[in-house]
Amino acid sequence: MESATSKYRIGDAVLVAAENPTGNPRTPRYIRGKRGVISAVHGLLENVRDHRAIHKPLYTVRFDLSEVSSCDDQDSVWVDVHEEWLSSLPPEERNY
Amino acid sequence: MSGKHNHKAFEGHMHDFEAHIRAVEEDLEYYRAKRFEPRIIYLIRRGVVTFSDLLKARVALKRSNQFFKLKRPQGKNIEARVRYLEEWLDEYVKGIALVSARAVEAMDMVTEDNRKERGDYDDFFKIKKKEHHGTLEERMVNVEQDLKDYQELLEVFVQALIGRGWSTREQLQQRWQQLHEERPWAGGVIVAKAWTDPAFKQALLSTGREALREMGVHQGKVGKLVVVENTDKIHNVIVCTLCSCYPYDILGDTPWWYKHESYRTKIVQNPRACIREMFGLEVSAGQEIRVYDSTSDVRYFVLPQRPGGTQGMSEKELAKLVTVDSLIGAGYALDPRQQEKAEKLGAKSEAPRVRPD
Repeated sequence: MESATSKYRIGDAVLVAAENPTGNPRTPRYIRGKRGVISAVHGLLENVRDHRAIHKPLYTVRFDLSEVSSCDDQDSVWVDVHEEWLSSLPPEERNY
Repeated sequence: MSGKHNHKAFEGHMHDFEAHIRAVEEDLEYYRAKRFEPRIIYLIRRGVVTFSDLLKARVALKRSNQFFKLKRPQGKNIEARVRYLEEWLDEYVKGIALVSARAVEAMDMVTEDNRKERGDYDDFFKIKKKEHHGTLEERMVNVEQDLKDYQELLEVFVQALIGRGWSTREQLQQRWQQLHEERPWAGGVIVAKAWTDPAFKQALLSTGREALREMGVHQGKVGKLVVVENTDKIHNVIVCTLCSCYPYDILGDTPWWYKHESYRTKIVQNPRACIREMFGLEVSAGQEIRVYDSTSDVRYFVLPQRPGGTQGMSEKELAKLVTVDSLIGAGYALDPRQQEKAEKLGAKSEAPRVRPD
């Protein structure tokens, strides 16, 4: 299911949309407009206790801490983001 | 004492009353404003219960038909009062669990409805949390009064649900008993098994919830479960910056600070400083900190490193070393000597509250 429905693969560089593209609000503000890399592909997930609709495929996106905050420790933040929020980042725009 | 309301597990003595009261204040307002009252408002909007039902139920309320019966405090000194407040808060939280969507079908409410209703996406809907000021004594008196008031609304709400025929007294009583059954904390059981059984550990890390199926612990149903392993190179930390997502349905409740804005903001801005300042944890320079923000349908917990000096210990003994904090990445599993000392002082191992819905 994951490979059939999900557009991105582990290792793909992605950019998070700056504005909410669909009305699904669960993408935190601090990663909007930021660059990250796909680190897990979860595909379509059913979560009936939580919500009724099935959202677009879900990914865990890894961000360098320095990309999402003013701290430049070599740490990272991993955030779950749905596909409609993401676009491919050309290699020359990657930050790693 | 249980240690439930303190961020440090295994406190032998209740020496820091201020920290205990702060934890009760924070948790009480969280459960009222984020979990319980949005639910009533949701049902009122849909005519499942009405304000009139609540008023009528209040008028009809007598000592004899009261659903919740609270014990009296065991003394008048400050420690006994703090303990009583903590127990009362636990009962209040269990009471909220009692009237969850699972127990009362007519509610037809999912977590996302609750998030909308309580203003997660729109400040207009935010329910104001009460702030507490003054001396410790004044704050305690305030919390005592608040708990009394909030408990009364809960009582009246239960009566209104029964009155409208959405549930029966017998059904609720049965569930109330279940909520009070003592059982070993799943967090300790799971981690101890992962430390001693490499095949299970591998299954847990790769399949999450699937691996729990044959363990006899409650698997839960909310979202996909991902377990992340701490190693000499990686220290994982869990947060939900949007609300307070966590695998509650497997591991029970989180400490109050997990739901608090200060943790949720700081941990993604400067994780190293945040866990040093809030939890006194100095993560070595050679370890990368990975903060997992559970923003959507995945729920995370950390598999902490097995402490040294634990060779030959049984799973049951090992389970006692696992703290709630260590599964969030805000602490390490306990050193066995530390645990033994705490136990001698009368501390019980940490067992969090049930999830309230």
